Amino acid sequence: MGKPSILSAFKAVKFLFQKPVTLRYPFEQKEPAPRYRGFHLNDWDKCTGCGNCADICPNEAITMVEAPEVEPKPGEKNERPQLDYGRCCFCGLCVDICPPGSLRLSRDYFHIHFDTNTFVFLPKDEAKDEETFLPPEEYSILQASLTHRRKDYEGFSSHPDFTLFEPERVPMPQVSPEERRLSFVEQVLGYSREEARREAARCLECKLCEDACPAHLKISDYIRAIYEDRPDEALRKIFEDNPIPAICGRICMRHCETACSLSIRGEPLAIRWLKRYTSDSIVDYREALELQPAPTTGKTVAVVGAGPSGLSVAHFLALKGHKAVVYDALPGGGGMMRIGPPAYRLPVESIDKDVAYTASLGVEFRFNTKVGTDVLFEDLLNDYDAVYLGIGTTSSRSTRVKNAEKCHLALDFLQRNKIGRPVEVGKHIIVIGGGNVAMDVAREALRLQHIQRPGQETKTMTVSLEDWDEMPATEDEIEEAKEEGVEFNPAWGPKEVVLDDSGEVKGLACKKVKSVFDEAGRFSPSFYEDQVMLLEGDMIIEAIGQGPDFSFIPDAMMENVEFTERRKVKVDEDGRTTLPKVFAGGDIVNVNLDAVTAIADAKVAAEGIDRLLSSES
Amino acid sequence: MIPGSQPTDTDSERELELYFGPQHLGMVGNFSITLKVRGDRIVEATANPGYLHRGFEKLMEYRTWMQNFPLVCRVNVVEPDSMEMIYAMGVEKLAGLEVPERAQYIRSIYLELARVGSHLFGLWAYSNMLGFDTPAQWAMYHRDLVLDLFEELTGGRVYHIYLWPGGVRRDFPEGFKDRIVETLHSIGGCVPDYDSTFFNNRLFHQRAHGIAKISQERAKALGATGQVLRATGMRYDIRKVEPYAAYDQVDWEVPTREEGDAYSRIWVIRDEMIESVHMIFKLLDAMPGGEVYNRVPNPFKWEIPPGETYVRCESSRGELGLYMVSDGGDKPYRVHFRTPSYPHGLTILEELLKGASIADVGNTMISLYIVAPEIDR
Amino acid sequence: MISSLKSSLESTFKDVAVGEPEAGRLSVLAPKDSLPVVLRYLKENGLDHLALLSCVDWPERGKFEVVYVLSCYMPSNTDYASEQRLHVFVKAEIPREHPALQSVIDVFENAEPYEREIHELFGVHFAGHPRLIPLFLEREYEIPPFRKDFDTRQYVAETFDPIPPVDE
Repeated sequence: MGKPSILSAFKAVKFLFQKPVTLRYPFEQKEPAPRYRGFHLNDWDKCTGCGNCADICPNEAITMVEAPEVEPKPGEKNERPQLDYGRCCFCGLCVDICPPGSLRLSRDYFHIHFDTNTFVFLPKDEAKDEETFLPPEEYSILQASLTHRRKDYEGFSSHPDFTLFEPERVPMPQVSPEERRLSFVEQVLGYSREEARREAARCLECKLCEDACPAHLKISDYIRAIYEDRPDEALRKIFEDNPIPAICGRICMRHCETACSLSIRGEPLAIRWLKRYTSDSIVDYREALELQPAPTTGKTVAVVGAGPSGLSVAHFLALKGHKAVVYDALPGGGGMMRIGPPAYRLPVESIDKDVAYTASLGVEFRFNTKVGTDVLFEDLLNDYDAVYLGIGTTSSRSTRVKNAEKCHLALDFLQRNKIGRPVEVGKHIIVIGGGNVAMDVAREALRLQHIQRPGQETKTMTVSLEDWDEMPATEDEIEEAKEEGVEFNPAWGPKEVVLDDSGEVKGLACKKVKSVFDEAGRFSPSFYEDQVMLLEGDMIIEAIGQGPDFSFIPDAMMENVEFTERRKVKVDEDGRTTLPKVFAGGDIVNVNLDAVTAIADAKVAAEGIDRLLSSES
Repeated sequence: MIPGSQPTDTDSERELELYFGPQHLGMVGNFSITLKVRGDRIVEATANPGYLHRGFEKLMEYRTWMQNFPLVCRVNVVEPDSMEMIYAMGVEKLAGLEVPERAQYIRSIYLELARVGSHLFGLWAYSNMLGFDTPAQWAMYHRDLVLDLFEELTGGRVYHIYLWPGGVRRDFPEGFKDRIVETLHSIGGCVPDYDSTFFNNRLFHQRAHGIAKISQERAKALGATGQVLRATGMRYDIRKVEPYAAYDQVDWEVPTREEGDAYSRIWVIRDEMIESVHMIFKLLDAMPGGEVYNRVPNPFKWEIPPGETYVRCESSRGELGLYMVSDGGDKPYRVHFRTPSYPHGLTILEELLKGASIADVGNTMISLYIVAPEIDR
Repeated sequence: MISSLKSSLESTFKDVAVGEPEAGRLSVLAPKDSLPVVLRYLKENGLDHLALLSCVDWPERGKFEVVYVLSCYMPSNTDYASEQRLHVFVKAEIPREHPALQSVIDVFENAEPYEREIHELFGVHFAGHPRLIPLFLEREYEIPPFRKDFDTRQYVAETFDPIPPVDE
């Protein structure tokens, strides 16, 4: 090192003549970086009130507070995060965990106030709060505060590659479309233990799903139990609200997954498959559950229909010590589940597993017994302390177009294929309908064609009034049907069934649909009568919906049954109909028409029946 | 001495106890030293830390693996980035996480920027303490330019909260490379000014030469690392000894000096800063594309298998280590940071102050490059 | 170097258990009375850097685990050898009731503040330490605060809640 000089320092004198680098604040300001982590912004329209931000906050600076102006609905709570800037450290973990990406940080960072309470506040953004968020010309740095902020001044915000949640689902192993269309083998193979745990680990435990589930299953609890590798504990949690997990684990309409936070910017947690994993991984429910029915009360309840609601009501009643006797015309339990969902979605063995457990609690099943013919409804009313109607919708509707009597009906078709002798199918099959039942019918028909007519040129088509965007079937079903080779003709309505000279089905004449619903949103299809086409086919199956069959109830009594505006059986908050000591639930009561809502009805009715029976003694 | 009283032999020999800090003009940071002095010679010095003891290690036992990430940087305010690095390394080691290659480069660049920023801050502290106000002001300004870079990359100026387990939190913004180069060139262009006003200034030489001198032997015995050790001639640098991030991907040198005194330590810091700038240029050139973050498990359900680890990195002050134990839970079971200022500020400081003059206390302390929060944790 | 060190440790000390939990790291469990000799032996065999002295509380086991993390300074001034990446954890388990150990300051001088810290935060006594006085804390606590049975949340609630209002 050279000889240090005492004079060298004077070279710094030259800086005297340079422009100063300091900013003359507040006249000169420094713009914060685009990623700046300042005060919060929250888009109230996107925010679901899930509370993950409050859970991740290392400083407990975020509290979820009730927002009365927000209407709670499935997938959204009426809560919004409130920040305490006495605690916040602006780390932005809340931004990175936020499933909808509504919570962001802005580039504002000024707040000076004598009132410490103003440091606690409910972030919004310019969409909801025009008074606070001002355009540049109205903004002044001298007034800057939490209530005087700049518009369009977003800083650190969520990025899909850096979220703290995992947006992608563990893929479910499935049989390929080419293979599965050749047989009725179950399409979904189910998660392995490792896959189930990995999928369960994605759950953020915000419980939006639990509010959305009609039966309010304790979803985050059982998902955690699966994650902790305790499937028996998971099963116990499920059974608190749902006694048919093997069935629901396969065919549930999963309102939960629609509400799942993860679905907003990714794939929802596979809640249904995890339920299925739970029930499949437990060989013997009884060992895992250790449920003990209450001491017997001596009361008896007749349950009409062994479908999801009938099974559930019998299960809950048995736990309360009441004797439940279930009547069903079919040879086994499950009701519509037994005949409706094709075997590739819901094998009969899975149904029997759930039914057998309910039977083990002391529930008596009388199968092959049709109420109204084999046993009279009046007798049930006399012999039992209460009667529960879980009869579902069992009669298929017809289009009633010309020659419609030549068509097959969906339920008969499905029932025969699943638990009877399979129908002999044609070469070109036309399925009328765009709902899930129509998908089931079409996919079954296609399989039967492959089985019965190997090597032949065959075709399965669907015709539906609804266009792609309004088709009531779930996206998955439509997608899988397409994969297997089903052809779609959306926005066409049946005009007449065309017969050939010998009176055999030749095809379906269709007319183009103008609109399906009227201005009020009611079902009222209108057509372009001049746009017609002929779909050629030798077999037509109608799958346009089902209705209930009340013929077992004597007419005199039927007059006293009240219905709602939507033609549903009217029940009170106890599930009680307008007939004395008759309760009801399931598809004849609710408009969702699915298994989990039927279970929810059953839970309500079981409580109601229990109250009635307890008050009598 | 009481005015009017007769001086006695014992008066000049009398031992006084002097409290140096935490509120003392010569003290940088919340730290205090109790000095036993005779005349202006220090007979014994007792380091008195604890003013910044926040119990981070205990607090971390109450927070989940992810929640600790914004916390660790606060252990050392001057260079929070190494704390983030060491925590990420510890978690990645315990959980067996992989980090994408580009993230490793970004980490190295980020840490070197932090080193430059931290050294500029140290330069401010040291030159300011010696009365060299002019270069001190420059250093502060240049550190601010580095903070601007951090702000653009991470959204924060002081606590960046950027380097997290699994990689880094965001990729470089558009054009960021150019801005790094530009900023470092403008800082580097001032090195001759720093040299002429400070490093080559004879006043600095006279003020620092021979002060707080420690031999390599004693430095090793007392657990010294970083500049304190490198100023005694040992090229001990964790970036070389046990390379992490992308430090083994480019060529660079470890600057050393032989004398072991305050003067050589400050020179090591200067040379290191320049080496860091060169290293950043090389890293920027060699940086590959690709991902910068491998997603870590759901923070609410993240459990790390039982185990313990000791990981270390080279912070701007020396060997920064982390001993971390997991009991298989969602939170660390035990965390213990080995901070470089701990031996420097306690054992070594006490030894070097023995026999020094009161005027050299600040000089000794700052040349040992002590940051009090790092000691207290 | 690792394997030779492992075998020489095992042959020199009959009462230590040596493990290699991962590449480049040895874990040596020694009875507490042998600690100073084991550490001295390791120091003389190249592990001359006591990087950290730590303590872990295992209340279920009724033990404190005292951990000495050793690594190597540079053997020469030029080369970076892979041996330098070696870490050794020397551990001793001591009972939580009246925990005491022999100070190792005469082996590693920089153990001095670490021992003070562990004494203060865990209540472990180090016999032969010249000044086992508090390092960080302002006062003594009934339960040393880094022990697992010291509940920080409860302490905070009792000491600082409720937050007094700030006067305008």
